[in-house]
Amino acid sequence: MRKQTDTTKKVSTTGAKTNDKPNALSSYFSHHQKTYKATFKQLLEQPLASFFTCAVIGIAFVLPALLAILLSNIQSVQHNWDGSAQITLFLKKGVPALDGNILSETIAKKPSITSSHFVDNNTALEEFKKRFELQDAVDYLDENPLPHIILVQPDKSLKSIDHIEQIKNSLLKFPEVEGALLDVMWVQRLNSITQLLQRAAWVIALMLGAAVILILGNTIRLFIENRKEEIIVVKLVGGTNAFVRRPFLYMGVFFGFGGSAIAWILINLTLYMLNGPIQDLAISYQSTFNLSGFSFESTLLLIVLGMSLGWFGAWLSVRKHLDDIEPT
Amino acid sequence: MIEFQNVMKRYQDGYEALRDVSFSMERGEMAFLTGHSGAGKSTLLKLIMLMERTTQGHIIVGDQNLSKIHQRQIPYFRRHVGVVFQNHRLLYDRSIFNNVALPLEISGVNPREIGRRVRAALDKVGLLSKEKLSPIQLSGGEQQRVGIARAVVNKPPLLLADEPTGNLDPDLSEEIMTLFSQFNQVGVTVLIASHDLNLISHMAHRVIEINDGRMVHHA
Repeated sequence: MRKQTDTTKKVSTTGAKTNDKPNALSSYFSHHQKTYKATFKQLLEQPLASFFTCAVIGIAFVLPALLAILLSNIQSVQHNWDGSAQITLFLKKGVPALDGNILSETIAKKPSITSSHFVDNNTALEEFKKRFELQDAVDYLDENPLPHIILVQPDKSLKSIDHIEQIKNSLLKFPEVEGALLDVMWVQRLNSITQLLQRAAWVIALMLGAAVILILGNTIRLFIENRKEEIIVVKLVGGTNAFVRRPFLYMGVFFGFGGSAIAWILINLTLYMLNGPIQDLAISYQSTFNLSGFSFESTLLLIVLGMSLGWFGAWLSVRKHLDDIEPT
Repeated sequence: MIEFQNVMKRYQDGYEALRDVSFSMERGEMAFLTGHSGAGKSTLLKLIMLMERTTQGHIIVGDQNLSKIHQRQIPYFRRHVGVVFQNHRLLYDRSIFNNVALPLEISGVNPREIGRRVRAALDKVGLLSKEKLSPIQLSGGEQQRVGIARAVVNKPPLLLADEPTGNLDPDLSEEIMTLFSQFNQVGVTVLIASHDLNLISHMAHRVIEINDGRMVHHA
């Protein structure tokens, strides 16, 4: 009879979560542990197939990662440009040298400008002759073709090209000034190229990320098909959808991790192979430039990203295919 | 324990498996559900398992009205109903032990307790020595006993069986039925769908007969 009352109690709790287990949490974790071990074992049982899946994911990661590394290297070049941007102002023809001098002094007093130096056109011509050994050619000229110039040195603390550009534009407003030249074009070009590459890196990363999700989704769909009977039995004996999903989600995470690991190896191999030629190139520009490699943080990011994508791909697949499997 | 109130089940294709079924079973009762194939036996069991929902009428199991159980609560409900299938539905990629342990793992029973309860269930069906084998190494009768062990390992108050002896010879069938009687004797409510009238007549239990989706009342 005691059994009978026990029975009554049990049925009346039907439909509620089982909270009659004293250490539900510890058994929950122990089941997680068991699930990921079993899932890992299952993947190892098909080493080649699992490796290929990981390799596909890894290769998909390599291209965006390499682009990101390239970008971070270019950006370090940009941050290190020495800030010696000089603005050359060309004065209008007919502006007397005296006026030019006064303008130069006015400019020197402006904020964010370190110094300003007036060069009259005769001095400039002399220098030109000396430097390029064009004495004879210059002598043929009737008059000095060069304008007066003012060399303006912006504050060295100004690193932003936009800011220096603004100064240049404000200087252009003086009526005596005909034109201005800012000698940082190369930095600007690099900037544009970087932006282009950045955009490209994002587009490629997004597309390959989507590809990874699709590949994983399909792989996991096959695993689900293979385990259909098990899923039905689990649901029949009271397994929740979360319980049924768990091994497949672990599978996605494992694939993501494997893919990241393979990507890490491929990236470091590529960097190793590229570093030599890049050094040669840098030397030819009388520069020292070391391709900075893959930091610990980047490695961590790659792995976390890989595992998250793996989980997400698995989750999508499981959501689409698994919840539909109901016992009949 | 089980109460059917004017239950009607029409499938989506319009087929009416159950037209008007009303009956009730007391707690601790054991009954056979009979009828020719297609009479609606399986549908009736599926309704109790919530594998299907009623079109009309109500089913009450324990204190619960099944129409009021939300889809997400179904798994928790099923943990209190043991089911034995004609084709056992064992998983062949794992040992006997792990097959029987499945419902306990799902319910979140702690691992040491699982070992104890699985062995108790296997002991009851007489297969304790075979826990490490794969189901494929067992005979049909033994496989069915593993299925029974899995159905009772959670100590459910209600045990359902759909043609549990359908693939077995008469001797084995009787053995299996005796096993069900033993569970009934310790207080489990047992409902067995079977068309093996010869076997049923040997056992002194109530018979619920349905024909063409309706109850058959014997005088």
